Amino acid sequence: MRSVNVLDYALKSSQGDARETLESIKTQNARVSFKEVATFDDTVKIPYHLFKDEVKEDSREIKKAIKKVVQSLSDKLSARQRANTALIVGTALVDINIVASVNASAYDYKKQPYASAKKSVDSFAQEISNELGLNPFTMTISTACTSSANALLEARNLIKSGVFEYAIVVGVEIFSQMMSDGFSSMKLLSLDVQRPFDVNRDGLVLGEAIAAVLVGEDDSSWRLRGGFSNCDSLTITSVSPSGGEYSKVMREAMRLANVAAKDVTALKAHATSTPANDMAEINAIREVFAPDVAFTALKPYVGHTLGACGILELAIFMSCVDDGFIPKTLNHSESIIKEYVPLQEPKACDSGVFMLNYFGFGGNNTSLIIQKESL
Amino acid sequence: MKLYVKAFSSYRGDLNAFDVKKELKTKYKLDTRRQDSFIHLAVYGAQLLKDKIEINSNDELYVTSGVGNIDVLQKTNNYVHEEKEFIKPFDFINMLGNTTSYYVASSLGLKDKNAFQISDNFTFINTLVSVCASLNASKKEAILGSVDLSTNPEEVIKRVLGVSEETKVTSGVNYQKLSLSSLGALAEVEFDAKIHSLDEVEALLKKTKSKVVVSMRCERLDSKKDNEFFETMPSHYLNQAIETKEDLVYVDCFDDRYKIMKVNVLI
Repeated sequence: MRSVNVLDYALKSSQGDARETLESIKTQNARVSFKEVATFDDTVKIPYHLFKDEVKEDSREIKKAIKKVVQSLSDKLSARQRANTALIVGTALVDINIVASVNASAYDYKKQPYASAKKSVDSFAQEISNELGLNPFTMTISTACTSSANALLEARNLIKSGVFEYAIVVGVEIFSQMMSDGFSSMKLLSLDVQRPFDVNRDGLVLGEAIAAVLVGEDDSSWRLRGGFSNCDSLTITSVSPSGGEYSKVMREAMRLANVAAKDVTALKAHATSTPANDMAEINAIREVFAPDVAFTALKPYVGHTLGACGILELAIFMSCVDDGFIPKTLNHSESIIKEYVPLQEPKACDSGVFMLNYFGFGGNNTSLIIQKESL
Repeated sequence: MKLYVKAFSSYRGDLNAFDVKKELKTKYKLDTRRQDSFIHLAVYGAQLLKDKIEINSNDELYVTSGVGNIDVLQKTNNYVHEEKEFIKPFDFINMLGNTTSYYVASSLGLKDKNAFQISDNFTFINTLVSVCASLNASKKEAILGSVDLSTNPEEVIKRVLGVSEETKVTSGVNYQKLSLSSLGALAEVEFDAKIHSLDEVEALLKKTKSKVVVSMRCERLDSKKDNEFFETMPSHYLNQAIETKEDLVYVDCFDDRYKIMKVNVLI
């Protein structure tokens, strides 16, 4: 049976494009900016992984930036192939189009003449699809931090079912004041750096990203072996401290991909650096894997890019392995569980089976299994 | 592509208005705190479905909408930007699309796949395509909820949906339990990802003996059109076809592109 493969990727992160992001990771020198967010009684400056060339909270700017990333993949397809390519978006971004409509109609002093231009969270995708000659089928998945990882699984289903020959899956997260203030209200933001699985971890650093992968059944060294996604949690924002919900999704992903834990070369953790989530995740890793499992976290390099992290971290992980290594986990000094320590140094690696985990609010948990053939 | 409907539920605010939140608390004994009208509507429709059919914990859940939870965005936008208040954590959480599908899953005891998805135009038919592809892979069954909430003022949602100012918009929720198997099915739904031309649609409509409903967006089609609107209207007409035991062809349109959903009632 033919497999669905990752044929190409493109990205824009706080560190730049794919090549620049890889360079930042290799030199362990990640650029961080700052933004102001509201707290209950004040505003504070927080570290934030922002794009170098700021994409403003403006729909035209955002669309232009997404189009550039998508086009870098679609340009490599023929017209016939593009017509058989679906565009699937994953994002947790607050819908600024709706905010604009509220402002234009709900307040007298902001009132604007009525215009019936269709605007939804998926409008950018539809417009980009038309402009680039892709198939008109677009879909936006919004499942918080698992959004674009789940979008990838949807794309895989559509290709396996023969509905489309290819899909471009794009993860999008641009700075949103409302979203940032929301994380601040939940006291989840670090004022310093992300310290994944470290005893001194104190929260996450948000980031902007637009990342895309082209998937299809053409030959590729990168194969999407499978994955699993479910909705299982203790509350809407937390899982059990044991991480039982996470270990369940990891095991099911491996079962569906016909992979045993011992076959997994390395694991990319979700690793938000928040006290509760990292504890649950490392407990789940302990439940599923032996202590010698190689695992790492990418968020200290690019921030937590929420709905975009599924595809961004997939693309970054692939670019690192293509370059012959798995990155070390930055800012880690003492592990929560002493037997389970994330990579302290880059590990040489150019092939293998890899698990990539993503966990989000709303109980959404996703585990992807990818494989790179040895050359 | 084909899916079979095993059960369905519908609620439309304009036809049968009552306090949905109160009904969730009193009839279904559900905790409605920290939720808002959009979530209440979605959960209420799910409970109506649960009244009709057994829900398996590994059923896949899809929730789709024209624009999502506009209620919480409007409310939060108002107090954050107009009244300069600090965003409340649960309003922030409710802004995330999958919060609605989380509450639906919790109320139904679902523990499997849970996707909140939106598609620009054709959102219901495109979600059927997605559900069908997913069930082909998983061999499970799926619950599909379609939720649309109107706003006050209505102009907000009309601007977002891109409909004329005179259009009647309604709040509604419709669910189907969907399967690849025809065993015990109430109806067969046919659809595909393909875009049809006006000529193709006109040819099909000439041949069909089924009832035809055409979205009000199909301006160039000379046919009876629905007179009110929400983005997931085809889901409502699918349920209505089963209710009235009348086969249906539904035509949706945007930018001169057409999609078709056929419903063959099996009971």
